[in-house]
Amino acid sequence: MSYLQIALSQQLAPAEVPAAVRAALGKPLRRAAPLTQLALIGALACLPAERRGLPTALLWQSTRGPRQETRLLLEEISEGTAEPMPYDFLATQPAIAAAQIQPFIPGLRSASYFPLDTPGTADWSLLLTLATNWLAEGRYAQVLCTHLDHSQTTAEGQWLCLTQAALENPPARLQIGAMATPGALPDTPDFPAHLAHWLAGKLDSPLQLRSATTSQLAVEFARL
Amino acid sequence: MRRAVHIVGSGLLCARGDAPGTVADALWAGECSHDQRQVGERSFPYYRLPLLETDWLARAEAAVRQVAGQLGELPPDTPLFVASSSFQIGHFEQAGADRELPAATASFSRHLAAWMGLSGARHSLSNACISGFSAIDAARSLIAAGQIEEAVILGIELDNASTLAGFAGMELLSRTRCRPFDAERDGLALGEAVAAIHLSARPGRWRIAGLHTGIDAWSTTGPNPDGTPIAQTMQACLAEAGLSPGDIELIKLQAAGSPGTDLAEANALRTAFGQRMPPLLSLKPMLGHTLGASGIAELTALIACLDADHIPATAGFSRVDPEIALFPMVERSTVHVERALLNLIGFGGGLASLALVRQ
Repeated sequence: MSYLQIALSQQLAPAEVPAAVRAALGKPLRRAAPLTQLALIGALACLPAERRGLPTALLWQSTRGPRQETRLLLEEISEGTAEPMPYDFLATQPAIAAAQIQPFIPGLRSASYFPLDTPGTADWSLLLTLATNWLAEGRYAQVLCTHLDHSQTTAEGQWLCLTQAALENPPARLQIGAMATPGALPDTPDFPAHLAHWLAGKLDSPLQLRSATTSQLAVEFARL
Repeated sequence: MRRAVHIVGSGLLCARGDAPGTVADALWAGECSHDQRQVGERSFPYYRLPLLETDWLARAEAAVRQVAGQLGELPPDTPLFVASSSFQIGHFEQAGADRELPAATASFSRHLAAWMGLSGARHSLSNACISGFSAIDAARSLIAAGQIEEAVILGIELDNASTLAGFAGMELLSRTRCRPFDAERDGLALGEAVAAIHLSARPGRWRIAGLHTGIDAWSTTGPNPDGTPIAQTMQACLAEAGLSPGDIELIKLQAAGSPGTDLAEANALRTAFGQRMPPLLSLKPMLGHTLGASGIAELTALIACLDADHIPATAGFSRVDPEIALFPMVERSTVHVERALLNLIGFGGGLASLALVRQ
C-alpha cells in the first residue's frame, strides 16, 4: 500500500516552458531538452522544498519521446556532415535528464525512462506498481510517476506523487493487485486528470486503473 | 510477499558468437577482433554482429529470432521488458528522406515482441548504458512481489550512424581499441548486441541477489572522478544482497576504456572494497560497448563463462595507470566463482550494480 500525495496535470504552450523553468529556478536551465525542462517543472511542482532532499525515484514515460530532436539528428546525419553537434545528440537521449534535474531535487536517487510503444496507451499501472513495491521495501521516501509529451503545439505533463507514509491529508491510498471491475479506467496518458476529477467529486466508491495487459497490476485508489 | 528471482534461460548474439556458450568459448580463446566503421573522415573500431542481411529491419528480425530461439519455448503471455538506447533509429537512417517517425517512440518494441512470439505485456526502458539493469530491476520487482511469475528481458543495440557519430562528436571514442584501466586508454569502442535473459520465481542456476541503481549528476557525459556515487551504488547492492565486500569473488567492470569513467570506477572500487579487492574483469574489449544492450549482453556472457569455470582475461590492458593503480585480470582463470558483482556506469549519469549468486 502507498499514499497518493498529488495528482497534477500541466499543460503549456511549448514556448512557455523555458519561462516556467525560469520562474521555478530563478534562472534558465541551460542546454536542457524540452522533455527535461518539463520534467523539472513538474517535479518541483510536486515536491515542496522541504521534501526535495528525501530519497526519491522518478519513473517517467512518454509517447512521442524526443521526436523533434530525433528528427533533427537524423537530418544532420543524412546530410552527411558526419558528426552532429554534441547538444543535438544529447537532446535525443532522455536518460541524461536525471543528471540535469538532480541538482534541484538533491534526493533524486534513481530515474527510469519508459518510452511507450502504442499511441493512446500508457504504463501507469506498471509505474504505480513499481513505486508501491519500492516504497514498501523502503528504497525511497517518495516516487514521482509521470507522463510527459512535447510537440510543436503542446507541452504536457501528468504527474502522480506517491509516498510510503501518509503525510498531511493525503487524498487517497493505493492498493495493487485488485481485481479490475467493469468500471475500471483504462491505462491512458491522461489518467491523472481522471483521477483528479474523481478526487474532486463526492463518490465514496474506489477508482480503479486497469492495466492494458497484466491483470495483477490493477491499481485501486481509495479516498481518505 | 518477497520471492527470490532467478535466471532460468538466456540468449546472446554479439560480435563473439551466436550463443552464450559459443561466446564464452571465444572469450576463453582470447578473441577480441573488431571491424572498423567510418564517420566522416575518421574511422573507429566497431564490433559488428555476424549477420548477412543488409536491410536494417530484416537484420534486426534475424538477430532477434536467433536469440529468441535460444530461450526455448516460452508461454506467449510472458511479459517482455525491452532495453535499448537507440531502438530502431538505424531503420530511420536507412529509410532516408522518406522516413516517417512513428507516433509512439518505442513502436519498435511491438515488432520485437512479435518476432519473439510474445503477445503479453510489453514494457520498454531507455536509460542509456544501464537500460538492461533498469529493466531487470523492474521485472524482478514484479516477480519478487508475486505480481508476475516470469519475464523476458531483451537488450538490443543495433548498428546506426547516429549513435556512433554522436559519441564521435563528443570525442568519447577510441580510434584504436578499448583499453580498460590502461594507462593508454583513450575512449570507447562501440558494438552491436542482442541478448535476452529469462527471469523467474522458479529456481535456476543463478539468483539475482541484489540490484541497485543510482545517479551521478557530476555531468551529463561523465561521473564524479572520486567515484563516490558509484561506490555508494555498489555498497547498496551488496547490502541488499546480504553480502560483504569479501564475499565477492569477481567484479565485471564497466571499464570501457574511457579516461574519466575508468578512473571514477577505480576510485569507487577502492572505496567499496579497500584491501579486499576481488579479481576484476572487463568484457568490453571483446564485445565492444553495446550501450543499451550491454547490461544483458555482458550478464549473459559472464554467466556462460562462470558456468564453464572459464573466466577470460581482459584484452587490451598492458600498462597500469598510476592514477588508477588497479589492473584487470590479464591471465584467464578456472576459479569456480559463486558470487559476482556487475557494474554499469551510464552515459548521462545512470549507475547500476547487480549481485549474482550461484544456487
